[in-house]
Parts: sequence; C-alpha cells; structure tokens
Amino acid sequence: MADELESWFKAEVFIHEGILMRFLARVWPRRDELVDLRQEIYVRVYESALKGRPQFPKAFLFSVARHVLTDRRRRERIVSIQSAGDNDFSNDLIEERTPERWVGARQVLARLASAFDRLPPKCREVIWLRRIQHLPQKEIAQRLGISEKTVEYHISTGGRLLALYVRSSESEGDEARDYRQAVETDIRKDEKGKDHL
Amino acid sequence: MSTESPEQIEKTAGDWLARRDAGGWASHEQEAFDAWMRESPAHRIAFWRLETVWDETARLSALGAGIRADKPPPPGAWNLSPFLNLTQADANRRKRPRANIRRALAAAVLLTMTAASAWYWWPAGKSYSTPVGAVTSLPMSDGSNVILNTDSEIKVSIGEKERRIELARGEAFFSVAKDPTRPFVVTVGDQRIVALGTAFSVRREPALQVIVTEGAVRIESAEILAPSTGTRNSVLTAGTIAQSARNEVHVRHADVSQAEEQLAWRAGRIIFRDIALAVAVAEFNRYNERKIVIEDPAAMALTIGGVVRTTNVDAFVKLLEDGYGLHAQVRPDKIILTTR
Repeated sequence: MADELESWFKAEVFIHEGILMRFLARVWPRRDELVDLRQEIYVRVYESALKGRPQFPKAFLFSVARHVLTDRRRRERIVSIQSAGDNDFSNDLIEERTPERWVGARQVLARLASAFDRLPPKCREVIWLRRIQHLPQKEIAQRLGISEKTVEYHISTGGRLLALYVRSSESEGDEARDYRQAVETDIRKDEKGKDHL
Repeated sequence: MSTESPEQIEKTAGDWLARRDAGGWASHEQEAFDAWMRESPAHRIAFWRLETVWDETARLSALGAGIRADKPPPPGAWNLSPFLNLTQADANRRKRPRANIRRALAAAVLLTMTAASAWYWWPAGKSYSTPVGAVTSLPMSDGSNVILNTDSEIKVSIGEKERRIELARGEAFFSVAKDPTRPFVVTVGDQRIVALGTAFSVRREPALQVIVTEGAVRIESAEILAPSTGTRNSVLTAGTIAQSARNEVHVRHADVSQAEEQLAWRAGRIIFRDIALAVAVAEFNRYNERKIVIEDPAAMALTIGGVVRTTNVDAFVKLLEDGYGLHAQVRPDKIILTTR
C-alpha cells in the first residue's frame, strides 16, 4: 500500500510540478514562500491519497492548491488584487493529455539534458561521472582530487537542482524565474562555506 | 518536526540521496533513513521528489554513447549525441533540398559484378584482412596508407606501372601518396577506382560505395551489357558520395564534412542521421558478432540519429531501450528488439 502510494505520487503528482509552480509564482506575491506552499500542497495531497486516490490527479492537485492559498490568505488576512482574477483554475482543471504526459522518451531526454547543462560546472562534472559514466563516488573523488564528502555534497546539490530544473525551463515568465532563482540561491548558499572543498 | 523549513527538509533529503548513492550503505544507515522517512509525510515527499528525477537521469547515460569518458561536453553541445540529434536531423531534412541527390551520372557507371572480365585481370598480391569489429591501419610500401574497416579484406600489389589494391570484402579508406608514374587503382569486381592524388573510401557490400574526401577519383567500368561502347568513366571530386543501386550509380555531392561523417568508423564510431532503425542496425551489425535482430515492423521504421561506438553493443541496445522504448531480449547469439 505504502509502496503503491509512493509510485502513484512519483508518476502522477510530481510531473505537474512545473505547471503548479508557474501558477503559484503567478498568484502568490512572496517568492520565498513558494517552496513552503509546495510542501503544504503535496502533504495535503498525500494525506488525502492515503484515504483514496483521486480520479484526476492534476485537477485534484490544483484544487488542493486553491484551498491552501485560500487558507493562507484567510490566516494572513491577505487581500490580493493581483490574484483575484488569476485564481481561476478552470483552464488547469481539464485532465487532458498534457505535455507532461505525452512527451516521448526523446523529449524527456532533451529536458534532462538541458537541466543537466544548467548545473554549476563542478557539480555537472561530478554528475556526469556518476550518472553518465557510472563511476562510483569513491572513484570520482580520486579522479577529481577531491574528498568523498565533497563528491557526496555535489551529488546532493545536483540532485536538488536537477529536480528543480527538470520541472522548470529557463525561458519561462518572470515570476517563475524569480522563484527558481530564490531556490537556487538557497541551494547554493552553503556552497560559500565550502570554498575549501 | 514542524519547525523544520522545507528547504532544510529538502537539503536533508538530498544528503540521504547522496549518501545512499555513495555505496557501502550499512544497515544502521538504512535504519536511520527509515526513521527519518517515517517522521513526516513532508520528509517522504521531499525524498521521493528528488529520487524521481534522480532515477530519471539514468536515461542520460544514452548521451554518453560516443563521448569520451573523462569530461562532459560543454553545455548545449549535445548535437552529436543520440536522440537530441534527431531534432537536428529533422531540421536538416527540411532544409536539404531533395535535388541534392542527383542521378546525373546515374547511367554513367554500370555495376555488374557478374562477369569475370579478363580485361582487368591481375595477379593477386599480398592479402590483408580484419575480423568483425576491428579497424586496422596499414602503411603501404609506396607511402600510401589504408585503413581497413570491420570484416574486410584487400589484396595488395604494388607494381612498377600500377599500384593496385583489390577490395575483396568490406570497406577501406585510402590515403594515396602522389606518384604520377604509377596510378593507384582500387578494384571491386570489374570496377576500377583510379585515384587522382587523393583520399577516398571504397565499400563493397551491400553495393559499391565510393566516398571522396580529398582530390578526385575516376571510376571506370567495363560495359558488359553493351560492349560496343567500351568503358564508361566518371570523375568524382571531394565531397562526393557515390552509391550503386541496381544498374545505376547515385552520385551525391555533399560537402566534405558530410563525406567525412560517413567515415567515422575510422575512429570507431558510426554517425546516424535521420536513418531508419532497420538500416542503422544493419550497419551496426557489421561490427559485431552478436547481431541485433528487429522482429517488429513498427520498430524497423523508427528513425534514429546519433553517434554510436561501433563495438559497444550493450550501449547501443540500452540507448534504443531508453530512448525509443524498445524492448531487448538478450540471447547469447543475438539480441531481439521489439516495441514494448
């Protein structure tokens, strides 16, 4: 049951993250809260899915998002003029064959490649050796003359950046770009303290 | 754990992912990880989210085919890589006018391998051959060089009046040392390919193919069907790719880089552009004893593009599986491809 929920989540929920985050970035004024919103939405979808899977995952995801936004506004007494019209999800509710779903293996690969290309150089090199050349972390450390801890750190950061980049593109709107940059900054923040690595 | 920020959770999830990936994952680590995952749905979700994409990046190994291991190519430089290249190939196809493939010289050369014409008879010289999968470079005594492709054989006789190489099987690339007193001639059946100070390749199967990368060559052929007209000649210049089809020769004037691309086997690679899978597999099979068999007509028609290493069957098959959704049944003697 738990495993089944996991695979359902992986296959049916995360794939809509790109469009979800673009939407949130459009209607929610504070970029630094977007990751928090995302988490809350996912957790609510999760808890609801424990009781039963929604028939239309994407529509369900967006209806949860709407509730989360409404709750927050109520709690924080936010009246957002900007979001008044934008909060109309009707277009997003159609459970169609979305691009997320019908992209073929080739486009998936293209998307992965462009996400991979956006990684910082050192991180990109480590991920290359690990995921494309299949070298063990230990060997990567030896080859690059860095510690195994540093390799692990690059894998961790790379994994997070890839998860972000795969669902977002460089060419999207300003709000979404702001969100992405905010997350990037957060991810790389502790990199400064690791200059010696 | 409500005090944890989502960023913090994501960071921890990333660290778990990296730690697990490092290998040497001990049971106490598994327990600690399980405990962390149990702590909250937010933990589980954060980890699954990263894991989903991380697992997907396994597909990226398809990009590694044909690329040297040490360094990743610069960002955006994937045009030589399988699949992505496809969109490139699609674009090229739209741009390239059909007229480029001309039949201007179609009737100029007749390819009839049937007649054992005494006209070109020559005592066979020293023989060289390569096994399947090997590429060998052979320096000749006159300063010329021959690169023999997989499963190929040549017979060399360097005489005082003529340097002659008979291509008995397969494919070879010739870099010819200039010597006006002794023409350099490659024979395939009753075809003679005469070098005019040049670099070119000749392939025998499934049909004669001549690719000229430097200078020019002249193809001479005995006119068996109409002996009265004697020999028919045609001169092919650099960038030309000439291929026989039935009794005709199709001559394509490409640029030299396109011609060179066809000769990527010299560096152990094949470059496919916009080519049917059936053709690509046939080409690939030349280099390997364990043949790939396509049992599914739908799969045969798939168009593929990219660079593959000639001798890495596993990488090529994996690439077809990951990138094209094909299913491979691996048997000791062959690999059967079907659509899933």
